[in-house]
Amino acid sequence: VPTPEFERECLVHLDALYNFAMYLTRNPPAADDLVQETYLRAFRFAHRFQPGTHLRAWLFQILRNTFLTFYRVGEREVAVAEDGVPDWDVPMFHDAPDDTALVSDAHTDLERALARLPEEFRSVLLLAEVEGMPLEDVARIMGCPVGTVKSRIFRAKERLRGLLRDYETR
Amino acid sequence: MNRDESEPPDEALGRRLASELPRYRAPAHVRAAIRRAARGREAAWLLPALSALATAAVFTLVLLATLPATTPEDVVQELVDAVVAEHSRALMWGARRAELTPAGTRLMEESGIRLDKAFLGDDRLTFLGAEPVYLAWRRGVALHYVDPDGRHVTYVALHAPGLPLPERQRMQVDGFRPALVKSAGFGAWVWKHGDVGCFLVSDIISAAELGRFKDYFVRVRAGTEPIVY
Repeated sequence: VPTPEFERECLVHLDALYNFAMYLTRNPPAADDLVQETYLRAFRFAHRFQPGTHLRAWLFQILRNTFLTFYRVGEREVAVAEDGVPDWDVPMFHDAPDDTALVSDAHTDLERALARLPEEFRSVLLLAEVEGMPLEDVARIMGCPVGTVKSRIFRAKERLRGLLRDYETR
Repeated sequence: MNRDESEPPDEALGRRLASELPRYRAPAHVRAAIRRAARGREAAWLLPALSALATAAVFTLVLLATLPATTPEDVVQELVDAVVAEHSRALMWGARRAELTPAGTRLMEESGIRLDKAFLGDDRLTFLGAEPVYLAWRRGVALHYVDPDGRHVTYVALHAPGLPLPERQRMQVDGFRPALVKSAGFGAWVWKHGDVGCFLVSDIISAAELGRFKDYFVRVRAGTEPIVY
């Protein structure tokens, strides 16, 4: 049974997890569900958390795994590049308005461009650049080596710059 | 390739992401739901007592195992039957105490569901009224509409945490994936909005008219956001 202290420490990261969930699902009700499910799982599996390791990274890992499990990203039949990232944009969330509509709802060019990135690219940027996590933590969350994380960050930024250039020239 | 000083444009983009992207804060109801879940777990002293009850439950389960199993389809069908009955009642006798504001306080208090956003009609669907409902032992809210041909459409939102959608009946509709369930000559789109089960009922279910029913679904789905109050 998780201790009240453990639960309080988990709740400290609620806003950060919700922010990540919003950028993953791009749908507020889905983000609500995803974050609640993440906490339920964290409390249920509290005994598996190793004290001394990063609670924040552990929670993000649960959230992303839950997202992938619930929305069955793995079942999509997409061609993947060497680092496991699809080469084109596909909707990640199957019971939400499609990307075009959501992207047009985005507030800024940057948000719009980010929403167009595949999940694997979007996640590494959000974790490393927005949340400021060490690459080792990002690798743990993404379930891949640090080298792959670096490669994805590089490619994600490359693609993001291209999208931003497109918006600026419109 | 990596994030060191040799690639300043990468760093600049990284800083831009950190400073310019909007940050979304967890809504109060999510925070409250998680706290409630945590409090529930804190009642760990109940576990020994519950284990005794669990022993008794085992005997009950043995008995239940001999009964027909309930599938997700059964649960959804039961709710759809109730929602269709409510739609039929409204068709014949109209709403009991219809309110013209879905965000009305009485409606919220009686239904336990708050509509953060409600579809109030457009050039295709005219909003007739809203009312609290109690269907299949669940509180909820119903919104009634009519289209230019006089065909009635009823939206119902019910407390239904964990409602399992029948996967085989789900259809892709303009980026959404609701289930289409039929009952007594009516059709109902079924989808979930957090802990709320949502239904859109009409008799517009023939193959020729399915496009119109899909269109109504998209209008109502995109324009209505129920949350447990």
